[in-house]
Parts: sequence; structure tokens; C-alpha cells
Amino acid sequence: MARIRIAFSKEDPVRWLSHLDTQKAFERALRRAQISLVFSEGYNPHPKISFASALAVGVISLGEYVDVEIDPLIENAELVMRLQKAMPEGFRIIDAEIVPPGQPALMALVNRAQYRVKVPLLSSIEEKEVQDSIQTSLDLDSWLVERESKKGLVQKEIRSGVYEVKGTVVENHLLLEMLVQTGSEGNVRPEEVLSMVVQQKDLPVQLERLRIIRLGLFVVKDGKQFTPLEVLKDLR
Amino acid sequence: MIGQVLEDELLNKVTKPTRYTGGEYNQVKKDWANVDTTMVFAFPDVYEVGMSHLGLRILYHLINDQESMLMERVFAPWTDMEEEMRKRDLPLFSLESRRPLKEFDVVGFTLQYEMSYTNILNMLDLAQIPLLSQDRADDDPLVIAGGPCAVNPEPLADFLDLVILGEGEEILPILLKKIGNFKKEMAGSKEAAPGRRQTLLRQLSQLPGVYVPSMYQAHYDDGGHYKGLEKLDGSAPDRICKQVIQDFDQAYFPTQSMVPFMGVVHDRVMLEVLRGCSRACRFCQAGTIYRPVRERSAETLQRQADELIRQTGYDEIALTSLSTADHTCIEPLVKALLQAHEEKRVGLSLPSLRVDAFSVNLAREVQKVRKTGLTFAPEAGTQRLRDVINKGVTEEDLMETIEKAFQGGWHTIKLYFMMGLPTEEEEDLEGIARLAEKVAYMGSDIFRSKGIRKNIKVTISLSSFVPKPQTPFQWEAQNSIAQLEEKQQFLKKRIRDRRITYNWHDAKVSFIEAVMAKGDRRLAKVLLKAWEKGARFDGWTEHFRYDRWVEAFQETEIDPAYYAYRNIEYNEPLPWDHLDYGVDRSYLVREHKKAMEAALTQDCRHHSCSACGVCPSLGISVDLRGGDHGQNSDRL
Repeated sequence: MARIRIAFSKEDPVRWLSHLDTQKAFERALRRAQISLVFSEGYNPHPKISFASALAVGVISLGEYVDVEIDPLIENAELVMRLQKAMPEGFRIIDAEIVPPGQPALMALVNRAQYRVKVPLLSSIEEKEVQDSIQTSLDLDSWLVERESKKGLVQKEIRSGVYEVKGTVVENHLLLEMLVQTGSEGNVRPEEVLSMVVQQKDLPVQLERLRIIRLGLFVVKDGKQFTPLEVLKDLR
Repeated sequence: MIGQVLEDELLNKVTKPTRYTGGEYNQVKKDWANVDTTMVFAFPDVYEVGMSHLGLRILYHLINDQESMLMERVFAPWTDMEEEMRKRDLPLFSLESRRPLKEFDVVGFTLQYEMSYTNILNMLDLAQIPLLSQDRADDDPLVIAGGPCAVNPEPLADFLDLVILGEGEEILPILLKKIGNFKKEMAGSKEAAPGRRQTLLRQLSQLPGVYVPSMYQAHYDDGGHYKGLEKLDGSAPDRICKQVIQDFDQAYFPTQSMVPFMGVVHDRVMLEVLRGCSRACRFCQAGTIYRPVRERSAETLQRQADELIRQTGYDEIALTSLSTADHTCIEPLVKALLQAHEEKRVGLSLPSLRVDAFSVNLAREVQKVRKTGLTFAPEAGTQRLRDVINKGVTEEDLMETIEKAFQGGWHTIKLYFMMGLPTEEEEDLEGIARLAEKVAYMGSDIFRSKGIRKNIKVTISLSSFVPKPQTPFQWEAQNSIAQLEEKQQFLKKRIRDRRITYNWHDAKVSFIEAVMAKGDRRLAKVLLKAWEKGARFDGWTEHFRYDRWVEAFQETEIDPAYYAYRNIEYNEPLPWDHLDYGVDRSYLVREHKKAMEAALTQDCRHHSCSACGVCPSLGISVDLRGGDHGQNSDRL
């Protein structure tokens, strides 16, 4: 019996899968790959599969992670190959690594997400305007955003969860890249960062054609940034 | 182009985007350059309903396994998607290649339910294909249809180029091959060939099981009564016979089934254990049109189950058919399947149960862990009425079965009944209430005596009787909407027990269903009008609006009551007389008369042949795989 951490990407057409659908797709692919899952005890046993963090519907990700308990253990390269064969189009299995006993759950570990946001411009703008907008937003002490919750609209302060924002104009599109907080301590959404930046200088963007890519999920420990797989390699 | 618009603009605006993306595991994408014939299977309801349909799954892989043809899929877009598509003038497209439906050789609809007819019109319109077959040009696709409602496709006759009768596995590959050959011949001839479409349809009409509505004209007398069809072309067959699979055990069944991403209605492996049903309930259309009963052998089923689990990764196998517990090898089969898949935690389910103790034992085998609820269909509240419909279930059977269920720990029981059945009286409705109460009391008694502190829940679900073609009740009238609603209210007042939940179907929907089920070609105008007024997804409560239909009938000057509320004489010509399902008219008459005397007809599997005519006319016989096992008296 062992816990395996798998890194994967999620692109077209499966970027449209909800988190629940993604979980189901993995469970079924693991079965097709004849990888024997470990089940929870209890009334309604379910396989022990846990993801790092939910990805919003429509967002492409190049760095997602899932921990799976299996028995018997399969060699990493073999597992990657077998699972890749059994995955639907759009999922790519990148790598796998055994998780030593006692390691925290993925969900408790991951605390940073890196995104790239691409949105068409309605009219052309200077590169400088973009930089100004970013700088003006970063200079603000407070970023209040409204979010829908079960209790209705709530206000949330997110400035402290935004670590890095870079931007540029490419082929009539505004491109933003950002590193933000994610996980149990709080979550910053890429649309919120975009909207904050755009608001400052009233940048002319076509919001309904927004494309978001999650470039990766990370663990920041003692000021150093690792991927969830690097954390394990570091332990070896 | 469509793919780009879809990805960039549409999918983030609609609910459940995976209805439109395709890309499921085991989807087949073939190269258009390497095939002769292209067909899109069009399901006139949403993705999650359509993907639960076994026929689609069988035909999809069957056709894609043929080198010279391909099949893709399309479902009815939900209203939010339709709105976005219309805004952009985006044509309806297939999931696999995202090509407009217009580019296919064949657009094939499945006719599952009368209330999806307006969706067919809406899909054709969204596909920018002329709605009326007479308006289609040589390069428009052939619009074809098949499935249970092909038993009377007359209300759709003006919209369909061709209808296939019987089992698609038999007919479709032959049909598509012929279309491919025709295309090749045409490509070879240099001259332009006017009337190419008519020539092709004429050729196809010669295939067994193929009905080309435009080769016939319907006649009506001065009183507005249907008089019959006249052939417009001497080569058209007088009668069209349904086609059936001769060796069901060896028949094609796909084991690399598609695995949808979103939860669909039946999200599990569907293993078809048998086809047909010989219980001969007199209201049941499926019971006639899928005859005779043919079983798959336990060996074949076990092999198919193994492969399906390996190829799909599902954790549940449903044993499907009209009456799964009737399979002569069901007990050993269930045991073998449970044993084979236990280790991987693959469960079994039985979607439909007979009312007998044997079925409860089976259910107990199957649902060792999860006991969700059991459903039975006594259909009527008194013995007399159950005999009229030939349900073959006694109150004793029912109570014994349900007792067994309560003893086995089930606390939720669902009972299906029908109201408005022929000869129904107040006493029969009263019987429904009485039965439900009796069940609830029995459950409480059993639970009390065993010290179980769980509440009993009895749900009774009432549908309204809809007379259907090719059944012994095809000559019967439906109760009026007012009568049905009155009966619903009667029961609502009558049932006061808090353990009993009571729900019923909209009588107005059942009325339209009856009109379409028994309709003739004049109803095309009504369908068109109702659709123009916005009718679609009529089977969905949130979208059905009766006033649209009332207006459509008024404006086309068609009286719906004529179709639904009239007792038809045995000697009257029927709009579906030319469609031959192998069952003799004399058998249906005999059964109708027996119904009026509340006389039973026994199951031809275990008793004498009831001479329905199917076996001799189709050159086939009932095919059971369990030998003597099926004769056990405890199973009746």
C-alpha cells in the first residue's frame, strides 16, 4: 500500500469539467488502467483520492496534483504510462512520485497558485498604461472584492494574498501573470486581480472572452517555493 | 470555426458545458476523407438523457466499426445554448467533428417519446435544414428516424424523408452502405442528375424495414375520417415490415462504451440481458413492438460485463431489459457477476422488478450494502382492473412481495399505478388508496415487531393511461383532461396517511401524448404551429405550456379530442395500418375483447402460445437460454 502523488495538466476539452467530474474521470481512468485503489472503510466505501485544489470550470491548468492510495505499488514510470493511456483526451499525466508516510495532505500543503490571464483588447493601448495600472493597484493597501457566498454577497480583503503581478500587451491582447494565495489560508481569484488592474486606468478589455491558465500550484516553505512534487524529491 | 466560437464564447455562458464538448473516453473520431457515408445520430433531448439511451450506444459503435461509414452525435441544446447559437446564427453541430449537421449525408433522429417531437423541429431549424422533406434539395441530408414511436410516425411524416422499422442493428448498416454506393455512382456520372434525392429515396424504399412517407398520400373522407394511404409510386411496398435480429446472443454489442464526464441519467455499464417481453400487458406498446423474447446467454453476458468494466472504469453494472428478472438464468448470472467483480467493488443494479418474491430475493443479492428503495408496478388498484390489463399480479403476490421487502430491511417502497385505464371505476381508484395504506400499515407492523426505529415511506406514482398503437387498447379512448384531474383530486383527498407520498403526471401532457401517438399526417401543421409558438422540451414540466398547444389546434382547425377521446371501431382504417410489427390484428382484437371480460392471457414462454403471430411472420421464435431452469414454478 502506498500514496502516490500525480502531476497532470488539464486542457481542451476537459477544462470544462467541474471538480466533481474531474474526480470521477480520475477514478474511472485509474480503474481502466488496472491500478488497484485503496478504499475507505465504512458504510459507503470510496477510493482514497484527493486533489490539491479545485479548479474553476473553463480554466486550463498546466500543473494540477492528486494523491492516490494504491495497493499494490506500481513503479512511477509504469503508472504514468498506464494512467496516461486510460485518460480522456485533454488530460496529460506529467509525473508521479511516492509520498512517504506522515506527509501532510496535498490540500493542506499547497498555498500558492500562478496564473496567466489573456483577454482581448477593444482598442489598442500602450505598454506603459498596463505597467501604470499594475503599479497603481499594487500601491493600494486594500483590495476589497465582493464574492457570492451562501449568505449572499460578502466583502473580502485580498491585497495580502497577491504576491506578484506582471503584465504586457501581445497581439491586441492584455496578458497578466500573477502569483496569488490559494488553499486553506485563503484564495485569490485571477479574475479579481484582472478586474482590479483594469479598473485603475479603465483599460478597454473584452471581459467575456477571458482565458485563464493556471500555470502551477506551489508550496512556499521557509521562503522557498517548490512544486508539490519537488517537496517530495527534496525529502528523498 | 464552430470549435473556436464554442471554446471562446459559448461554453463559458451556458450551464453544463460538457453537454457540448464531446471528447469522452471511447468517443470515436473518424476521418471524413476515408468514409463513403456520414451520419449524425440526433437525440431530441438533452445530453444527459440521450447518453443514457442504450440504442445510441449500440448503433454508434456498430456504425463506426464499419470501415466505409461514420456516426457522430448531437443532442438538443438546452435553452441557454440555443439562445447563444441563435444570436450568432451558429448552425447546430455534431460533438465529434463539430461540423454543421447540414454537412452529413444522414441526420437520424430517435423517436423515444411523443413529447420530443417539437425538439426534432427545433433541431432541424437550428441545423438550418428545411423542416419539410419536400423543401429539401439534393445536397441536404436525408432526415431519417427510428425507435419506438416509429410505430406511428404519421404526425412527423411531412418532416421525415425515411423511417426505419424495427431493430436498427439490422437495417442501418445496409441503409448507409446503399447511400454510400449511390453517392459514388453519382460522383462517377458527369451529367447533372435532377431529382437525385427522389431516385435515392425510391431505391432505399426497396430495402426491408424502410418506409418513405413521401411515396404515399393519405386520404380522408368528407367527415374528416382517415381513409388510408394511396401509393404515389407503384414500386413502393404495400406494407413495411419491422426487421429483427435473428440471433440475439451473437448480435453486436459494444464493449468499448463511451464514458460521459457529467452525471447522466444512467451513469453505469448497461448490459442488455434480453430483448422483448412476453407478459402481454394490454396497455404496453414495448411489449408488442419488441417481440419475441430473446435472451443472451450467461456466458456471453459475463464476457461482455468483464470487457465493459475494463473498457469504461465504471463501478456499477445495470442489467437492463423490459423485465430483467424474467431472464431464465438470472440467478446464477447475478451470483457469477457479483463474485467476478466483488473485489474491485463493482456493484450491480436491476432497474425494473417484477412483483414477486423472487425479485425481492434478487434485489437483496444485488443491493447488499446500499438499500435505496424498491419499485413495483401493480398498475391498477383492484384485481378486476389488473385482470383487464392482463397484469397477472394478485394482491396476495404484491403483499407477499412487499412483506419480504420490509422483512429484508427496505423502508422505502414505490408503487406505480395508472389512472384512466379502460373500464376504470371509482372502486378501482379507491383500491389504489387502500393498497397503499395496507402496505404502509404492514411496514409499520413489521418494523415495530422487529424493533426497527425507521419511518416507512410509501410513494405512489400515478400516470395517466395513454392508448398506444399496436396494443390491444389502440381502439380505446383516453379519459378527458377534466376526468383525469378529477380523479387526481379524488385520490389526493382520499389519501391522508402521512407515510404515503402521492404524485401524478400532468394530465394535459398525457393528452397531447395521446393525440400524437394515435395521430395522422394532418398533425404536422399542429406540430409546426406549436413549435413556432415556442414549444420545445415539452416533456419537461418547466417548459411545457398547454396554452401553446390549444392555440396551435385552434389555428390549424384540428380537433385534438378526435384523436384522443374517441373509441375507434375495429374495422376503421388506422393511420399505422401499413406498418407491420408482425403482430396480427386479430390477436389485438382478441386481446381487447378478453380485456373487456377481464380474462387473462398467459405468458407464452411458460404456457401455450397466444398466437400473436410474431414468430411465424418474422421467421423467428422465442429464444430462452436457461432451458428447464425457466420452468420453475416458484418463479411465476
